[in-house]
This record gives sequence, C-alpha cells and structure tokens, in this order.
Amino acid sequence: MPLLVSNHLANAFESLRGNRLRTGLTVLGVTIGIASITVILSLSGGATKIITDQVDELGGAIAVVRPGSADRETRINNLTSTLAGSQVTSSLTEDDVHSIEQIDGVKAVAPVMLIGGNISSDGKSPDGASLVATTPSLPEVTSLPMSDGQFIDSVTNRDTAVIGTQLSIDLYGTEQAAGRTFRTHGMSFTVIGVLKRLNNPINYNNIDFDHAAIISLDSGKSFNQGVAAIQQINIKAESTDKLAAITKEADKRLAANHHGEKDFTVLSGNDLSRPSNELFYTVAATLTTVAAISLLVGGIGIMNIMLVGVTERTREIGIRKALGASNAHITWQFLIESLAMSIAGGLLGYLLGYFFAFVISRIFLTFDPLFNWTIVGTTFGVSLFVGLIFGLYPAIRAARKDPIEALRQYH
Amino acid sequence: MATTPTTPVIALKSLTKRYGIGDAQHTVLDGVDLTIDRGEFIAIMGPSGCGKTTLLNILGLLDRADDGDYFLDDKSVDTLSSARRAHIRSNQVGFVFQNFNLVPRLNVIENVALPLTYKGMHKTKRLKLASKMLGIFHLSEREYYMPWQLSGGQTQRVAIARALVNDPSIVLADEPTGNLDSRSSHVIMEELADIHRRGNTIIMVTHNPDLTTYASRVIRMIDGRIDSDTKTPRAKKVTAPKRRLDETRKKVEKKSRKPTKSKKGKSA
Repeated sequence: MPLLVSNHLANAFESLRGNRLRTGLTVLGVTIGIASITVILSLSGGATKIITDQVDELGGAIAVVRPGSADRETRINNLTSTLAGSQVTSSLTEDDVHSIEQIDGVKAVAPVMLIGGNISSDGKSPDGASLVATTPSLPEVTSLPMSDGQFIDSVTNRDTAVIGTQLSIDLYGTEQAAGRTFRTHGMSFTVIGVLKRLNNPINYNNIDFDHAAIISLDSGKSFNQGVAAIQQINIKAESTDKLAAITKEADKRLAANHHGEKDFTVLSGNDLSRPSNELFYTVAATLTTVAAISLLVGGIGIMNIMLVGVTERTREIGIRKALGASNAHITWQFLIESLAMSIAGGLLGYLLGYFFAFVISRIFLTFDPLFNWTIVGTTFGVSLFVGLIFGLYPAIRAARKDPIEALRQYH
Repeated sequence: MATTPTTPVIALKSLTKRYGIGDAQHTVLDGVDLTIDRGEFIAIMGPSGCGKTTLLNILGLLDRADDGDYFLDDKSVDTLSSARRAHIRSNQVGFVFQNFNLVPRLNVIENVALPLTYKGMHKTKRLKLASKMLGIFHLSEREYYMPWQLSGGQTQRVAIARALVNDPSIVLADEPTGNLDSRSSHVIMEELADIHRRGNTIIMVTHNPDLTTYASRVIRMIDGRIDSDTKTPRAKKVTAPKRRLDETRKKVEKKSRKPTKSKKGKSA
C-alpha cells in the first residue's frame, strides 16, 4: 500500500494554509518550547566549552581537588541546605596541599581560598570583587599574565596584593595601580601587580580574576582564625600521561589525611568543566523544566487543533473513505499535518533560540553560545517526538471514524 | 455460481443486517437474496427505513452485514480486513451521493482525481485522467472552479465523473437527484443512462418513481425484504439521440446559471 507521502504533504500544507492564524498560533507554541531548549543547550554548552578549552590550552595536564563528594554537587536540593556553599566550610587543608606536592610527577600545586568581605579604597568598594588567597605557584597552574608589576612570591611582604584589571579600574580609575593601597578586613594591602584582562569569568577556578584581589595564603588564613579554608587545590602534572597516576595517588593520600572520609573529589579532564556551582545546576534544571512545560503546552495545542480539525473534517474523512482511503491513509494524512506543524515550530524555535542566545551572550555574558549538531539533532528529535505523540491520537481518532456516520454529518 | 455462464458482478445470499442490542434490536435487512449482472441499471425503491441505503452501504463495502454472504466479482468480501475493503472500494466501487459530497477545500479537477490518489497514482497522471473524465461530462471549462462556484447539477456531474474515474465495476448512487430540481434531475439521469449505455453497472436508490423509467430493473423493498423485482424493457429516453441530450443540458445550464444562489438556497 503506497504511503503517498508527497500527496499527504501537499494536502497538509493546503489545509494548514487554509487556517493560517490557527496554524500560526499552534506552531508558535512549539516554537517557544524549542527556542527555550535551544537557548539552554547552546548557552550551557558554550559555558562548558570555555572551560574545556582552557584545560586543553594548558595541555590537559591539570587536575583539581574540590571539597565534597562528586555526586553531592549534582543535587539541586543542596542549594537550600545551609552547608551547601563550598567556601563556607571546606574539608581541604594545607596538609592536603603538602601531601600532593610530594607526589612524583607533580609540577606545581596551588591552593585557592576564597574569602568573603569588601575591598575598599578611598570610600569606593566595588560590587562583585572577590578576595583570593593563594600561593605564588598559582600562575604555574593557571595562566595569569601580568600587565604591570609582579605576582606575589615567597619573598614579598605579607600585606601585598595582585589585582585584576577591572578591580583596578573600579578602585583607582586606572590600570596602573602599582603602589596603591586598599583595605579589607581591617588591614591595608599594597598593590604590587595588575593582571592582564582575561575576560573569562567562567573558568575551572570559579573565580573571575578580572574582579579579584590575590593575596598570600598567610594573609588569607589570618582572616579566618588562622585556618586555611581551601576551596580548591589546583595540580599541574609534568606531562599529560602522568596525570592519571597523580590523580589516583592524590586520591589515596588525601583519603589517608581525611581518615578515609571521602569528603573531597579529585577531578581531571572533562570533569573539570563540570561547574561546581550548584546554582548553575539549579538554573539549568529550572530552565529545562520551563522549556519542557512550554513544549508540553505546545504539544497540547497541536493536539487540540488537530482534534478540532478532525471534527471539522469529519465529512471529508467520510468522503475519502468512500473513495477508497484506508485507515492508514487517513492516519497518515492527519499525522503528517501535525508533524508539519511541530517540525515547522522546531525549525523556527531553533532559529529564534539561537538569536536569543546570541543576544543574551552579547549583553550579559562573555562567551558565545555553542553550535553543534547535537543541539540540531536534539531540537529536531524533540519536535518530531512532540508532533508524533500529540498528533497520533487525533489521527487515530480520524481514521476510526465510521464512514457512514461521517458522511451523514452536515456542517 | 457455476450454473450461470457469466458470473454476476454482485451476488447476495440471505444478507441480514441488524442495529441495536437486545430489546431495541431491529432488523434493517432481513435475508436479502439478490443477483446483479454486469451492465444492469438497477433502481431500488421503497419507503423510508426499508433498508435501501443500508443495502447500498453494504454493497459499497462501507458497512458490514451481520449474516449472509456477499460476493463481489465472484469473491466473498465478508471476512476481509478494513484495509482490503478500502482497496476494493478504491478499485471497484464508485459512489454518487445525494448531497454530492465534493471535498470543499479542493477544486473540481482535484476532487475528480481524489479516488486515484488512493490507488497510488502519480499526480500528473491523476490530473490527466481526471481532466479526460471531466471532458466526457462537458465540464472541461470548470476544472479549476471550486465546488461552491458550481450549480447543483454541475456539482452532481462532477461527483459522477469522480465516481467513474477509477473505472469501477459498480457505481452506487444514493438518491443522486434528491437535492436537484426536476430539470437538473433529468440531466443527471441522462448522464447516468449514458454511462450505463457505456457498459457500467449502476445501482441507484431513489424515492422518485419517475426516475425508474431510466432503469433496466426496478427493485422494490419493504421492511428489509425485496418486495418486487421487475425487469423493465429499455426505457425510451435511453434511446434518445445523444445530440438532443447535449442540447437539453445546455438549455438547462443557461437557465440555471443565473439564479445559482437562490436555487442553492432552495435545495439546501
């Protein structure tokens, strides 16, 4: 039995054209759903790609240790838990740093401690500035080029700091900030270096260095009752092929330090791009839910309109059956109509979604949305699925109509 | 079946159809036996509710009988799947309805080509055949009209063209003139008589006793049974010269073209 696809297509477009407004509104429902999915996928893909690119740039020989167990981070309800933020309580200590330093093949280890509080100078205290305490080895692990001055090192004074370009401008109105001072936690720090503008707030350190002031770990400890609350330990291996062994060894040594309690995670490779920020997951999950709901609503719209169409065309169904259409023919006729609507919605939604993703990334973000065939495939697959699922019932209902009853109906 | 030298196109054996369940059950067709030969023009008469339309629907494979046998072209069609029945409808049956039943969204030629769609024919070939068929019915100028732009008589001629386009074994007409004025009715009946003369088998249900003169056989039904079955000699109108038929049609069309709207209102 021929499927008559081309004929059904022509037929579907004919009848969809006949009800332009109705078709347009129905397609819009799917468009919105697919657009939100495209925005979410392309932006979160773009963010992830930045981090993978950074790791790749560094030759891939990077591993990090973060507090908390790996599976804990993916749970959304942690956001509401009071112990959620990794910088509030950290299970990583200076001992852990020393243990890792002693592993064979480790080139450099840098602890990163994020400290809360204001940075101010002359009554100005810029929003979004962060205070980071670390050791002089950080630039060996993370690329932090200087535009002016030098990075903190073992011989520099305790109360010296290196600041990011944007922070320098916010505090002093200039990028030439060497020698200037700022106050935080009741102490005064002298700026000895300014970082080059990096312009990537998203990185595996989870620190926007353009807005950061970097001080020594000792100073950082003094603001925290002498305890180093280490948010992350960065490890650089001598070469990529040694990384696996180092990761394994670090895991073993830290487990020994922590008396077997697995309250830390050693990450390397693509796992680094897994954002440690639970807010990211929450936002992504919320957006996905919203997209799913709007897609569901779009699908219900298709089903609704198809049911109306089936009722309106009961007589036509009767005529077609009398003229030799089988149930399969009628099913396909209506199914192709709903598929045409959902795929058109998918296509429009994809384009619209990219447009929005670009607008959002241009206005609010520092990275471009990701383009790849997975997103194309996903949106196409989802719209096909929606058209099929929500078009099937009306189509079957159309096909099951008794031709005699259908022909008797006047309208 | 082997007793007759030519196999009849339709053979019904004690065909029974009931509607409803239990106490409310009511027999619409009560053991109908009927044999129809190729080339017959049959008029089925009878009061409302006697089962004429049900019989026609069963003959056209739109409905199934509850009991009895139905042989179409010497093949039993009782136990076929709905897909097979659709296939037979597509290849062997042509329908003409009282209310024309053109698809309102499609133009005349697309309507005529519609049955060919379900034979899996390509579009160009479909339209070519449909155009040829419309030519036979002198509707070539109306090919791209929409159904609502035609008069009642023209619409029914389009419907007849559609019924014949797939070259069916039987043409089933359910009160084909029921919605037409008497002048258009006669044009339609001439048309049916004409296609009968070309060798088509026509089974027509009608209320109008005047129209039985066109038929070669008249069957009267009462309460689901065949009451009388009379073969009539060829009616005189059938032998009327073709040229006169054309003239009648033209005259009728000239008259009916102007007041299309008011006539439509009357017939609706």
